Amino acid sequence: MMSSEVIDILFNPWVRTLIGLCLIGVVFGGAMVVVWFERKLSGDIQFRLGPKYVGPFGMFQLVADAIKLMTKEDLIPSKADRLLFVSAPIVLMGSVFLMLVAIPFGAVFVNGVEYPIVGTEMDISILYIEAVSSISIIGAFMYAYSSNNKYSLLGAFRNFARMIGYEVPLGITIVSVAIMVGSLNIVEIAQAQSPIWFIFLQPLGFIVFFIALMADMGRLPFDQNESEEELVAGWITEYTGMRFGLGFFAEYIHLILGSMLVVLLFLGGWNLPSFLTNVTILGIFLPTLFYLLKVALVILTIIMLRWAVPRFRIDQVVDLSWKRLLPLSLLNLGWAIMLGIYLGM
Amino acid sequence: MVSEMVGIIEGIIFLIVALVLISFAILSVVTRDIVRAALALIISMFTVAAVYIMLNAQFLGVVQILVYVGAIGVLILFAVMLTKKTMGRENNDQ
Repeated sequence: MMSSEVIDILFNPWVRTLIGLCLIGVVFGGAMVVVWFERKLSGDIQFRLGPKYVGPFGMFQLVADAIKLMTKEDLIPSKADRLLFVSAPIVLMGSVFLMLVAIPFGAVFVNGVEYPIVGTEMDISILYIEAVSSISIIGAFMYAYSSNNKYSLLGAFRNFARMIGYEVPLGITIVSVAIMVGSLNIVEIAQAQSPIWFIFLQPLGFIVFFIALMADMGRLPFDQNESEEELVAGWITEYTGMRFGLGFFAEYIHLILGSMLVVLLFLGGWNLPSFLTNVTILGIFLPTLFYLLKVALVILTIIMLRWAVPRFRIDQVVDLSWKRLLPLSLLNLGWAIMLGIYLGM
Repeated sequence: MVSEMVGIIEGIIFLIVALVLISFAILSVVTRDIVRAALALIISMFTVAAVYIMLNAQFLGVVQILVYVGAIGVLILFAVMLTKKTMGRENNDQ
């Protein structure tokens, strides 16, 4: 009785639109929480206090920052390429939002039947995510090139060298996961890890994927495009106000979505034992909660790695990708094929 | 009636997509700024993906984005950055 009503409500197009809008809100709110969390944790690691005046524990510091960014003068350097300067944030944010469409945010179990919370469920969603996430580098390039600044251009140059290197092992590890599942649908990949997470079946693949993803997101051991100490702020040097804010925010949303991808591909997604999900009230909230908890743990790890590992030189980064990660990812691909075909897993 | 409406809407969307595709393809040939030419080429390739998806070839469309925008477009931009040219607007003497 109850299940059919719930399903009707879930599949109503207006409700789905509302859910989609809520998901965008969740991601933006999540990005704000992550920024706050990163500042606070960085402060802790460096024996500082971090933000503490705005709101409880400085929680609303980012709101204050956003107000400040929005009230700033909208500055465009006189020798900048105006058209590219203005459209760069749109391209960068657009890439992030396109990724958002296909990434599941958890699942609702109604009477033991699973309904993933996802904008659009497609057969090739992992390929789609990989494809649209590669647009973000063009956005970053437009940021850097249009500012007409040497530091920006150097940052963009390093960004290119890094991204070209790391897209390859990233793609190969994704392929090796897809081979084991026999599907490119990210929901099916998450469901396939119901008994054993893929991190245990492909530990090598997890390591390669995690490192390549950190490089893809430009997190600290790999933030050569920004490297504050040498390049002022790299690709984003000439930007102020909300255009800077959007670039900054896009990086954090990318961080959240990337962590979701790690959890979905290697850390078991939202799967829980069925005796938990068959209980009505638990089945509605627990899997999503469990999934988001794992995402938070991955984000925590990435933030802590920021202060544990110093930034690599650009030649070391390129070296790591082509000489170390690429052979390792190929090895993992062979391992995945062996497991998938010969053991029938 | 409904199917007719759908057909008309599809035709309008295709018209817009095709116009964008052709105009950016022409722009990538005639523009003098080499980086803008590369970016216009990337946009036209992206629009080709939209055409594929409208023809119900979703896989081909996504692969088009992955290969032509994500890989070839980026490589073209990378190659452009290796050329010697003054950046940004003309007549800057940085």
